Amino acid sequence: MTDRADTKVDPDRIRGLLKQKEGRMRTCLQACAGCSLCAESCFLFKEKDNDPQYMPSYKVIQTLGRLYKKRGRVSREDLERMQQLLWRNCVLCGRCYCPFGIDIPNMIAFARGILRTQGIYGVFPHTSGSPEAEFGEAAPAQDGGTPNIGDLQEKSALTSSTGA
Amino acid sequence: MYEFVSGPLLWLSAIVFVAGFVYRTVRLFQLTEKKDVVLCPVTSPKDKPAPSISAEEQKLEKIARFQNSVLGRHPVMVIMSALFHLCLFLPVLFLMAHNVMLHRSFGIRLPSIPDGLADLMTVIVLCGGLFFLARRIAVPKVAAISSGADYGALVLTILPFLTGFLAHHQLLHYKSMLTMHVLTGDLMLIALPFTKVGHMVFFFFFRLTMGGEHSMGRGRRIWST
Repeated sequence: MTDRADTKVDPDRIRGLLKQKEGRMRTCLQACAGCSLCAESCFLFKEKDNDPQYMPSYKVIQTLGRLYKKRGRVSREDLERMQQLLWRNCVLCGRCYCPFGIDIPNMIAFARGILRTQGIYGVFPHTSGSPEAEFGEAAPAQDGGTPNIGDLQEKSALTSSTGA
Repeated sequence: MYEFVSGPLLWLSAIVFVAGFVYRTVRLFQLTEKKDVVLCPVTSPKDKPAPSISAEEQKLEKIARFQNSVLGRHPVMVIMSALFHLCLFLPVLFLMAHNVMLHRSFGIRLPSIPDGLADLMTVIVLCGGLFFLARRIAVPKVAAISSGADYGALVLTILPFLTGFLAHHQLLHYKSMLTMHVLTGDLMLIALPFTKVGHMVFFFFFRLTMGGEHSMGRGRRIWST
């Protein structure tokens, strides 16, 4: 899943990063009234049959909100769960709309930055973790080479048609 | 007990409320700064070129735009929310009984709304509270992001209205209900700047002063960090 899956989480580093934008991010987290009106502005939420895990506010509360709540003292498993929310469940298209004017994409980008310092990151658009696990042989090259889109689409269609 | 909650505790609540409100506002200004660039240039309607589509297409575009707006997608939620918030403020500020006390204590005269209207507004607030509570429990997407703080804020908002309604109509022990009304009102004041109810400050600051695509005001401020 990660380059440094066996390495320990560095809570001091996470805390230091959280501190940099603490006033802003805590204010934004507190300003969220939990109205859920941001949900329908996310195309992934609609695409995934209104699964709450794709709701913009859910993604922020369960990642950045959790990091602030635990003051950076999170386990690697916690970070890997966050990885799913921050990369697989969000493409950072910036189209989420908050009636309160909270800049949700900025918060997600900030949380992604924190996870990257712990060796956790998304490696392919709209997925997370190992591309091989998702696309098998059609995975993009590890050296950053461009994947064969045709192969990816074919593979993707194959997995959806077989219900895998 | 009534003397305590409507005397020292009310003073304390008022001080905490004002201080908290000022702190929140000052903090928001500290965290942001005036921007010197236009992030989202807005074309004035006068400068926009004449639309190249027919009147019929323009009408369809307007309908599509409305359907994709928050009001178009969630009409019940938006209308209920607007009514709820309107009815939260008006009876508090313009109820005859509140104004009599204000006049006796400070000599301040505020216009009053008829008791019947205040009653109707209270019922709307109570119905709105039930609606939001049911939504929070039963709708999966809302339940997924609801915490104790959200439920607490909702209950704290409703209680002064419920106890005030019961006291006014003397449906339960009047003196106890009146004491509970003042006590829950005090707690509401104290909690306002520091809990989820604080969105009353954030909403106006974010939407009116912060720059961005959805800014409703001039939007001349940006975050400093």
